[in-house]
Amino acid sequence: MLLFLLLPVVAVFLRVPPGELFSALGSSAALDAIVVTAETNAIAMALLLGFGTPAAYWISTRRGGLRDVVVTLVELPLVLPPAVAGIGLLVVFGRVGLLGETVTALGVDIAFTKVAVILAVAFVASPFYLRTAVAAFEGVDPTLPAAARTLGAGSGGVFLRIMLPLAGGGLGAGAALAFARGIGEFGATIMFAGSLQGVTQTLSLAIYEQFDIDFEVALAISALLIVISAVVLFSVKLMTRWRSESASLTPFAASTRPPS
Amino acid sequence: MRNRTAIGLVAFVLAAASVLATGASARTQADPLTIYAAASLTEVFKTYDRTQRYSFGASNTLETQIRNGAPADVFASAAPLNTQRLYTAGLVDKPVTFTSNRLVLIVPRSNPAGLQSIYDLRRKPVKLVVAGVAVPVGAYTRTVLRKMGLATVLSKVVSQESDVKAVTGKVALGQGDAGFVYATDARAVSDLVTVIRIPAWAQPRVRYEIAVVSKSSNKTAAQEWIKTLLSAKGQAALREAGFLPLPKASS
Repeated sequence: MLLFLLLPVVAVFLRVPPGELFSALGSSAALDAIVVTAETNAIAMALLLGFGTPAAYWISTRRGGLRDVVVTLVELPLVLPPAVAGIGLLVVFGRVGLLGETVTALGVDIAFTKVAVILAVAFVASPFYLRTAVAAFEGVDPTLPAAARTLGAGSGGVFLRIMLPLAGGGLGAGAALAFARGIGEFGATIMFAGSLQGVTQTLSLAIYEQFDIDFEVALAISALLIVISAVVLFSVKLMTRWRSESASLTPFAASTRPPS
Repeated sequence: MRNRTAIGLVAFVLAAASVLATGASARTQADPLTIYAAASLTEVFKTYDRTQRYSFGASNTLETQIRNGAPADVFASAAPLNTQRLYTAGLVDKPVTFTSNRLVLIVPRSNPAGLQSIYDLRRKPVKLVVAGVAVPVGAYTRTVLRKMGLATVLSKVVSQESDVKAVTGKVALGQGDAGFVYATDARAVSDLVTVIRIPAWAQPRVRYEIAVVSKSSNKTAAQEWIKTLLSAKGQAALREAGFLPLPKASS
């Protein structure tokens, strides 16, 4: 089983010598794809952290049926086939979609632009962040924010100075997972944003195109994505460890009880 | 082929997939052929003979798959280039031409860019969708534009799609303003698109070739299938679907 999982990953590096892999990454298709992927994912991640963090915090403070419904909705893109995500985005943001005309009227051009790639990446990557972030906020010892409140902190202060730092490890891990999913995005992007070198062609799309044109370039980009994914996964491990350590460092947990 | 392990693994996965597929269709009396065919043949092959297993895609993608040992019995390509390369590599038997096609420009019914003729591509801002240059229809598209002196409109291309059906879909959905596809693909979405014809003098020589895959375990049936496709019955089905009769002399 282990061999089955490992072989395809290792074989990518064995088929072509590392030197050639490296020089294949210098081809214009690969370089353009690296730039497009970096740009679109950076923006998608910024949006995700900016809007996703407060949203995750809000979800973590809710209880009961509403919370479960919201969490399920948030997790939906996680299990949806990318093709469904592509269709969904088209139906909403496509030029003839639900919001298509409104968006066009506002002067925003989505069809076949980087905006479309960013939307696709944000859509498929968000659940990875939100899920982990909600769990991270819920994992914070509830006596700590309660204690902060008794000491006079407002809810904004509690969020910024207690919750964010304590949930930091989990938030980082979530962001890393979302990033890994985002740079690998393929299905929704090719359906919704198309594929044009230097504009919408991300690394995964470049692999798909180069597969028929120059297999070595496809291999080289695959190798690059494997390395990035491995680094991301490893840093998630580190951050999760940090989280469990910081979670256990709750000196007030035993001694302080929230006022009842 | 430098790495046998990787190839072995691919073969293993493909074998597993074909075992599953065979199990699913165990009730048919004769083993169906596995036919790899150009995406533009999707509708016509499915109506012409429903009893075979098809894998439709860009001819160049199918070529790569066969090169990597895909279990195909027959390969039908939208351009001679892909079949000939496999023939040279000894992976398919001698290919034969079996049909032809022509290109058209399609625009969504609503025609957002207001295109009336091909030459409007040069004059108006337009989101043009084409297939990649390695895809047969993508290469034909570039031939048409070159013949018409319109090569500069390639700067208006917003997406290089992976096969002709992806081009058709993007235009039919109204995402793209215009796209170059085969006349037969336009026909399949005739309720969603308007066709702008391309003059005969600018048409590329579109030649579909078909060949038996050398490693096929079902060669007799595969040869038989191709023979029927070349017969009056097969040719009638192709013509009815809008494909063109065989070009007389191939140069």
